[in-house]
Amino acid sequence: MVLLGEPMEAVQSVAFGFMLPAGAARLPAGCCGAGNVIADWIFRGAGDKDSRQLSDALDGLGLVRARSVGSSHIAVGAALEAGNLARALDLHADIVRRPCLKDDQFELARQLAVHEVLSLDDDPRQKVMLKLREQFYPDPLGRNTIGEIAELEALTPDTARRIIEGGFNLTKTIFAVAGKYDFDAVCRKMEGLFETGRQDSAEPVGLGLRAGRYTHVHNDGAQVHIGLMTETVAPTHEDYYNARVAISVLSGGMSARLFTEVREKRGLCYAIGARYHGLREAAGIMCYAGTTPEKAQETLDCIVGEFNRLAEGISEEELARAKVGLKSALIMQSESSSSRAGAIGSDHYILGRVRSLDEVKDKIEQTTVDSVLRFLASNTFRDFTVATIGPKQVTVQ
Amino acid sequence: MEFKSEKLDNGLAVIGEVNKSAKSAAVGFFVKTGARDETQSISGVSHFLEHMLFKGTGTLTALEVNEAFDKTGAQFNAFTSEENTVYYAAVLPEYLAEVTRLWAELMRPALRDEDFTIEKNVIKEEIAMYKDLPNFDVMERCRTLYFDGHPCGNSVLGSEESIDGLTAGQMRGYFETRYAPNNMALACAGDFDWEQILAIAADSCAAWRKQDVQRTLDHSEGSGRKERVGKPNLVREHVCLMSAGVSARDPRRFAASLLGMIIGDDVGSRFFWELVDKALAESATMQFGAMDGTGAFCSYIRCSSENVKKVLDIVRAVFDDLAGNGIREEELRTAKNKVLSALVLKNELPMGRLVDLGFNWIYLEQYLTIEDDVNAIKAVTVDEVHALIEQFDPRHFTEFCLGPARDSQ
Repeated sequence: MVLLGEPMEAVQSVAFGFMLPAGAARLPAGCCGAGNVIADWIFRGAGDKDSRQLSDALDGLGLVRARSVGSSHIAVGAALEAGNLARALDLHADIVRRPCLKDDQFELARQLAVHEVLSLDDDPRQKVMLKLREQFYPDPLGRNTIGEIAELEALTPDTARRIIEGGFNLTKTIFAVAGKYDFDAVCRKMEGLFETGRQDSAEPVGLGLRAGRYTHVHNDGAQVHIGLMTETVAPTHEDYYNARVAISVLSGGMSARLFTEVREKRGLCYAIGARYHGLREAAGIMCYAGTTPEKAQETLDCIVGEFNRLAEGISEEELARAKVGLKSALIMQSESSSSRAGAIGSDHYILGRVRSLDEVKDKIEQTTVDSVLRFLASNTFRDFTVATIGPKQVTVQ
Repeated sequence: MEFKSEKLDNGLAVIGEVNKSAKSAAVGFFVKTGARDETQSISGVSHFLEHMLFKGTGTLTALEVNEAFDKTGAQFNAFTSEENTVYYAAVLPEYLAEVTRLWAELMRPALRDEDFTIEKNVIKEEIAMYKDLPNFDVMERCRTLYFDGHPCGNSVLGSEESIDGLTAGQMRGYFETRYAPNNMALACAGDFDWEQILAIAADSCAAWRKQDVQRTLDHSEGSGRKERVGKPNLVREHVCLMSAGVSARDPRRFAASLLGMIIGDDVGSRFFWELVDKALAESATMQFGAMDGTGAFCSYIRCSSENVKKVLDIVRAVFDDLAGNGIREEELRTAKNKVLSALVLKNELPMGRLVDLGFNWIYLEQYLTIEDDVNAIKAVTVDEVHALIEQFDPRHFTEFCLGPARDSQ
């Protein structure tokens, strides 16, 4: 297990997280959604505590819990008052290493996961972004983390136990902590709780095909929810910061291109924005807009137009605003122990090392209008993957 | 931490909590106005006006405003509720003076007709967006049913019809009285220079004219009515329940927050163990919301249509048990730990601190340190929570369900 820590002087809190290599892309075929069931099941009793006792023990420490299922990992962690860290780690050692995994509790976790899939139909905005990722990333990277009903219904406790056995591989687990703590003490504690022999590494994920360019789901709602994605460089690429600055020019703030052109000048949308979305193996620029049916086509065309217009030129002022926006966001996120714990864990997984704040600031600072335009010229936006949900389809050129 | 405050002659409150160890600073204008201060003919004007403040002044266009903010790297925005409109920005300390000056300028907007016309489209898109969010839609409908004519039941966004009918002239009239300096506070938190902020306030805001601003502050016990609306495109049953509570000035608000957490925190609460853990509902939460002159407990539950009757029977049983047997000492202790952790984490960020600082001033005209809040939470007793349950019986709730259309509808 890799242990990462970043001390923060100004806080009284500490945040920690375990990145367990059992994300959706690493699940066996036919088990879509198993991560969601597992992330619930392991909290339904661990060590010598049943579900209720475990929950009471966590709540008794005042933990603000966080858990999520991503493409590569199941992340489990918490933020809390610094004095309770050791006791919180004891409980998490039970959750990660000694979950009870009772059959009756599995059934409840599975039913909740099925309900969550059904609920997604009432949340078109979230659903369209999940559809978009499925369509955009080469299989299995974009696999839906919430799951498919048929596969959840077919999932058995034994299959889920086998996934946990293989996926909760401590040799490949990343542990990150940030805030107020003593790193040596945390390391000693973690050695006592998590030391095991080395386990074999999971096979690297083999990549398949991208699903397609356009998908539409009919829904008689008030708006057409549009998700759009196009390929860009991964976080490991030398042009990564040029890409980040370009996206910031497109959609970094309220004076950025998309907000100005789509919302301010044309009044087409309320919600409109694009951001960088990076996995270790691939990355994209992910955009969302919600608009009433009669404006959907114009909105999509306007967005694509703005993507393509970027390479035609960027002003020095736009570049300066993009840079200060990225740097400010970075520094402000660094005031939160939870954000920092998440960021150092993800850096280590994607880059194999943790970037300092100064390194990131310097790299942003080094970009110029020329470097960004050079990047855009050699990385033209060719294909747009589009997903829509709503009463009307759009035409994707 | 050092607290500073000053009141300008025109009544504008300027307050700040200086924390030199912070890496950022936050500033906000808190305006005591929202949907409850509107009449039916101008429904939605507070929120629309919030949008219009970003459209500039006599000397700044909308694009220039956005550029001026983005030049500082600010994370800035605004929100409107039933009773407050808040404009805020979080920045690196060296930019705080600049964004404070900018916000102060924007508080006297141009409200141009052409901007008003184009922004109407954006407002109507926002109304459409929320129609596709049933969890939001059900809460708003329940609020209207609960308050039953009391102004706190007014819609924040207004309707498509009310927005269509609204004129720029009506908005200007509303602005004149509601954005009076004596109805606002300017607050800062984090690492900043107090004297500099105060000088900016004096320079930019002293000419604003005081007005006679009123608000009716009746308490509401809620209508107790129950309604259901079916929509053909919905799949799940979305349920909102509301019952009466104490106001934002009532010292019992801390006990009320803890009670809300005991009943309906997203994990470890009574709702959680009875409904979510047993997979009868995928979401079941309750929160207490204190307002000016009144307050309410508000629950949101999402489940299948088949389960909704059973779920509501269980909710009634939870409330019966509370009314009959009260809460346990350890439930209160756990709720306190959770509230305290969340409070400390939120207040570690200047932006989080700004919100508490500003609202404490708006409601109480009082500075409360984080320790004051911590101590008030720690001091709540089981008996105080029981007295609250007795006075505000949770069984007297208003209920709104939004779900799939049934054959009979």
